Amino acid sequence: MHDPALSFAVGVLGILVFLAVFGPLLWRKSPLLPDLGASLQPPSRAHPMGTDDVGRDIFARFNEGAQISLAVGAIVVLAGAVVGGAIGLIAGVTGSWPDTVLMRILDAILAFPPLILAMAVTVGLGAGAVTASVGIIITTIPYYARLLRSDVLKLRSQLFVEAAAAIGASPRRILLRHIAPHTMPTLLIQSAAVFGYAILTLAALGFVGLGVQVPTPEWGTMITDGLNYALTGQWWISLFPGIGVLAAVVAASIIADRARDILDPRGQYTFV
Amino acid sequence: MLSKLGGALLAILGASIIAFVFMRLLPGDPSRLIAGPLATPEAIEATRQALGLSDPIIVQYAKYISNFLTGDWGFSFSAGESVSTLIGARLPATIELGIYAFVGSFLAAVFFALAATYRQRPVVDGSVRAVSFFGLGVPPFWFAIMLLVVFFERLPWFPGPEGRLSPGVEPPPSVTGLYTVDALIAGEFGTFVNALHHLVLPSIALGLAVFAYLVRLLRANLLEVAREPFLVVARSKGIRRWRVFSRHALPNAFLPTLTASGLLLAQLIAGSVLIEKVFNWPGVGTLVVDSILRQDFAVVQAFILLAAMAYVVINLVVDVLYGVVDPRVRIGSKAE
Repeated sequence: MHDPALSFAVGVLGILVFLAVFGPLLWRKSPLLPDLGASLQPPSRAHPMGTDDVGRDIFARFNEGAQISLAVGAIVVLAGAVVGGAIGLIAGVTGSWPDTVLMRILDAILAFPPLILAMAVTVGLGAGAVTASVGIIITTIPYYARLLRSDVLKLRSQLFVEAAAAIGASPRRILLRHIAPHTMPTLLIQSAAVFGYAILTLAALGFVGLGVQVPTPEWGTMITDGLNYALTGQWWISLFPGIGVLAAVVAASIIADRARDILDPRGQYTFV
Repeated sequence: MLSKLGGALLAILGASIIAFVFMRLLPGDPSRLIAGPLATPEAIEATRQALGLSDPIIVQYAKYISNFLTGDWGFSFSAGESVSTLIGARLPATIELGIYAFVGSFLAAVFFALAATYRQRPVVDGSVRAVSFFGLGVPPFWFAIMLLVVFFERLPWFPGPEGRLSPGVEPPPSVTGLYTVDALIAGEFGTFVNALHHLVLPSIALGLAVFAYLVRLLRANLLEVAREPFLVVARSKGIRRWRVFSRHALPNAFLPTLTASGLLLAQLIAGSVLIEKVFNWPGVGTLVVDSILRQDFAVVQAFILLAAMAYVVINLVVDVLYGVVDPRVRIGSKAE
């Protein structure tokens, strides 16, 4: 199968994962120790991405930032899929009032523009990597839940489910063995998209000061660090972390797009 | 219709509870913040009483809602002004930027979606798709900084981050609060050009995500509509290709984009928070970011609830409008 866009996306994600995992081992400069003698140096052989205002090596910080962004992306996907998926399954299977109540609660979450709700959560719980992740997870739950609920409603009336019920399978067994496995494509597609959304939102929260706190290197806060220097000629401080975010998010959305084309071309996904 | 209105009201109610829980119940004791670090326990207790923080939660929530509805959105201790005055003063700047960003990205999206689908040349189509992936994946604040680096710092084509007008240029007499409109009303052509010049880069930065979303949606819709038999009929009756495209395909492709209005508004609201600060644009977004940095949460609270309400209202309007524009939706909902 020849698909250049998909190969590109997988390759980019592969490079980012490699840098996150092996970067700190192979590139032994400290991402945290200031070196005022080497501040604001443009990219060179000694510092491939230059240095920031206190002389920290940006390539080392970029690698640490990749770790944080990819980890938060993965955590958000896992938590969102588990919690949102469970809510969707329960709502779809039980129907009647639990369904109505659950959907109303999700509507309240959907009443916020996603970034604004994530901001509200981090303001309330205090800024930081963990609270930012919690905020982002909360915004993804309704999308997972709604998708899974409509999947369940479609599957419930399928012949093989009725057949399972007819031969005496318990509701629990029907749900776990016959319905849940068929929701996997939906979960996969939405998860690829949510992964990119989480990385972008984490960077946005970092940029406004509500995400990962200094001195931990995170792509969004690194872009903020460069804000005041970008207009006096030191463009590299903001440039590279931004490219990191862009690469990760675009790769994730290409994968989500292709997965949808292959697995479920008519699905109604958010962020895809 | 009524059930939609009820649903929207319920959503706002739920949203206000979420906002109340996160903004009022969870953060540290605001009376200590307001009374100051040197306040005696008695003074803090007095502030608590004055703020109503010792009331039962239900009473606090009721007060929170009634205050919000009567326009009392709290007091910003860092600015020394009421939040409603602050937001009111900065709203026109944000609205003007939002309008230019939206109109610009809408026109660009229509143009590029047509270019991508008319005659279906793979190179054009591929580049439009690539741009839309870029626009949805790029952090808007980073894109804004890079625009400034290229078009202000390297090439002196556009003004730097100095707000809505060059230093020394007086704002036009306020009628609408939109500088470009007010300048035209007052006949100050120089001010109009200056304001427009300052709007270019921020509008591009803010509009990029909206453009990317719209162009993707329009392209997909156009491709879908292009397969419909009524287009073949129109063509076989001898109507020119371009006319079939512009008169028969395009209007039908626009229809589904209407449902995306809510998402687009969300993009604009979130985007203004992220890019205004980069351009020192004196709007609500800059106010919110500055307030976060100063821990002045009264402003942030009001903004969050306002954003949710605007979002719910536009989604409701779109829902209703969609039924008006597309009879199939109206009849479909009756049949259910």
